Amino acid sequence: MLREITLGQYYPAKSILHSLDPRVKLFSTLVFIITLFSVDNVVLFAIVLVTLFGIIKMSHVPFSFMVKGLRSIVVLLIIAGLFNLFLTPGITIFSFGFLTISDVGLKNAVLMTSRMILLIIGTSLMTLTTTPNQLTDGLEKSLGFMKRANVPVHEISMMMSIALRFIPILIEETDKIMKAQMARGADFESGGLIKKAKNMVPLLVPLFVSAFRRANDLSYAMEARCYNGGEGRTKMRPLKYSSLDQRAYICIVAYIIIFYAVKVVL
Amino acid sequence: MSIIRSKDLVHEYIRRDEEGNVESIHTALDHVNLNVEPGQFISILGHNGSGKSTFAKHINALLTPSEGTIWVDEMNTSDDEYTFAVRQTAGMVFQNPDNQIIASVVDEDVAFGPENIGVPTEEILVRVDKSLKMVGMQKYRSHSPNKLSGGQKQRVAIAGVMAMEPKCIILDEPTAMLDPDGRADVLRAVHTLNREKGITVILITHYMEEVVDSDYVFVMEKGKVFMEGTPREIFKDVELLKEHSLDVPQVTLLAHELRKSGLQIPECILTRKELLEALTKLNLRKLAAGQTSVASKPEDKKSFGDNVLILDHASYKYSPGTAYEVTALDDVSLSIKEGEFIGVIGHTGSGKSTLVQHLNGLIKATEGHIYYRGQDIYDKEFDIKDLRTQVGMVFQYPEHQLFETTVFKDVQFGPKNQGLDEKEQIKRAYEALTLVKLPEELYLASPFELSGGQKRRAAIAGVIAMKPAVLILDEPTAGLDPKGRDDILGLIKDMHEKRGDTVILVSHSMEDVANYVDRIIVMDAGHPAFDGTPKEVFAHYKELEKMGLAAPQVTYVMNDLIDAGFDVDATATTVTEARDSILKALN
Repeated sequence: MLREITLGQYYPAKSILHSLDPRVKLFSTLVFIITLFSVDNVVLFAIVLVTLFGIIKMSHVPFSFMVKGLRSIVVLLIIAGLFNLFLTPGITIFSFGFLTISDVGLKNAVLMTSRMILLIIGTSLMTLTTTPNQLTDGLEKSLGFMKRANVPVHEISMMMSIALRFIPILIEETDKIMKAQMARGADFESGGLIKKAKNMVPLLVPLFVSAFRRANDLSYAMEARCYNGGEGRTKMRPLKYSSLDQRAYICIVAYIIIFYAVKVVL
Repeated sequence: MSIIRSKDLVHEYIRRDEEGNVESIHTALDHVNLNVEPGQFISILGHNGSGKSTFAKHINALLTPSEGTIWVDEMNTSDDEYTFAVRQTAGMVFQNPDNQIIASVVDEDVAFGPENIGVPTEEILVRVDKSLKMVGMQKYRSHSPNKLSGGQKQRVAIAGVMAMEPKCIILDEPTAMLDPDGRADVLRAVHTLNREKGITVILITHYMEEVVDSDYVFVMEKGKVFMEGTPREIFKDVELLKEHSLDVPQVTLLAHELRKSGLQIPECILTRKELLEALTKLNLRKLAAGQTSVASKPEDKKSFGDNVLILDHASYKYSPGTAYEVTALDDVSLSIKEGEFIGVIGHTGSGKSTLVQHLNGLIKATEGHIYYRGQDIYDKEFDIKDLRTQVGMVFQYPEHQLFETTVFKDVQFGPKNQGLDEKEQIKRAYEALTLVKLPEELYLASPFELSGGQKRRAAIAGVIAMKPAVLILDEPTAGLDPKGRDDILGLIKDMHEKRGDTVILVSHSMEDVANYVDRIIVMDAGHPAFDGTPKEVFAHYKELEKMGLAAPQVTYVMNDLIDAGFDVDATATTVTEARDSILKALN
């Protein structure tokens, strides 16, 4: 059950998107998020939607794979949607007992949930087509200027890539420990909030212990392979812009211009 | 010039309390003197805690000596100047395949070492290609390590070391967590590196069969090298090895037993071929005229009680209806009788773990029914939580589930969940801990302070304390050294005999299982391929091999002998049976 989370996972395939420089993808994701939140009419929404689906088509990642990532936040989406739907004041268009739906509420609810869904799909498109290492390389390079302000950019990006690598392992481990404790009669489902939290102890303690053990092992393994921080490191695939990336940047700029032109005109 | 040389190497682990005062000193290495020549294949044997892993970390400058010196390629590892040069010269592969892979893609992981030492970009790519090819993993270069098997991950780790172009590679129990297939692949890769590239190999292991092909062996105990020599010299002294509860390959053991019984065969036989030759040379072949058929002795079939568990056409699919659909269990019908001791065998992914997790309702079959004492466990009325206490399940590496502040409290966890009163909980916990023979002074210790073997016992006690009618153990000996393995298996057998419980033992080691169980179920591709007594099952040793499983070594020996015209019992599964049968055939 826990294995089905796809958020933050890489999907190996050969596509234009996969071969783009991670910095391009980071930048375009940022642009995508900003434009997504500047959407205030149907035409703009259509532009964002069409662009996103065009890119998904190019990514060669099956659409069902991305939708799966949404499952984990379905509850959150529904709650956010319902709050918007019922609690926004405006002209009442439908009422049932104490529940009223206003026109603004309906509009907000639809906008809000579709924004959230697109946000998740858009960002997971980046993680699905970029290996965690490329992603952290991209971040390290893009944020390299912060090194001058003594921000340990390399260390942070290293930590991130290790965290990403261990997420699936720890998920599997959680599944296993959960089953083992259930076999000893543990109950993770029933009871109130406090009891539930208390019942998590037999799961969390072993999980922490194992995470520390893994961290210890990994630090030895990294040292054994001469890891010594970012100084003097070379890269197997250093980030270098290709003509493909230049074209991508041109597309992004064109997208921004079209989007804001439409926004100003309408 | 030797590549590794240690002189009076001492390592002490010092434990300090919060104020920094010395609390205790544990001497892990005690004046170790050792010499390794370039190009050699060296094995270091020893129990857990014998100091062999500590020694390995010294070769890699991960630890520095408390006293004495160790030189790697004439570089003193205590000298900070050489730290990285030492690590480049002597690369290291660790036990746990998951915990040493840093990147999320195979080739990026292999590149990690060269990147760290500043190899130019173009050369990294060449090295990564070459290293992956050496271990036969080039097909997987753009895969995620999470999707690989243990043996494949371990080969990626070896490639990661090779990409740094070391002169020497140290492997710290690289096969302890692998199944037989994975073990064979990793060893093949290491031997190829040694033979073809002239890489010095230091293999730390507790599997004796892995040692047989090495040039020189060091046996360690309590931080000291207590035996050294060629494999032949080491295995000459079977009695001494047994005294130190070290394993001996079954063939060697059988030859030793035969010699003890008065047969004139040479000392120290290491391979099946040698044994066959020796026995043939004896020229005692008794090709009794016409007596070609092998007389297998009638087996005394034990009788058992009623059926406890019945699987009725049970099937299970992972992620049904999606592209990732996997049939883990395929129309399995089985019955398990009261008081049986069953071994479930199969390689990784054969469905053996899935099968046993059905028996206590942790996994619900997608099709079919399961009955516990005649009741359908998927019935709405049926209390599945109660079933979990009736059918106790000890998972693989059960020590990972320990969480309480004391061992005793941890064992009490199960009975407490059963809703028993405190007095009964304590009684159950006490009984269980006595059964697993954990020393009483450890009852109030933190479970995290125990040794590996002790932790495992405590965890097993945690399940026994619920007094299950059926006890399932999933790979209870995984990762233990031979002594720990024999202890645990002995314990299980003892419990089975004393309490008459039904026991189901899941394993991939035929040799482990052959000595203990009444019945073996062989799983292959989600389906029971064979089901019968050990003798019945091992008679299919050729088919078993095709499934990636190996029958006990003696089974092969006996079949070799039959092919050579000896009149021996093909169904012997243990060394004692084999010895008796050979002796009988020869006089």
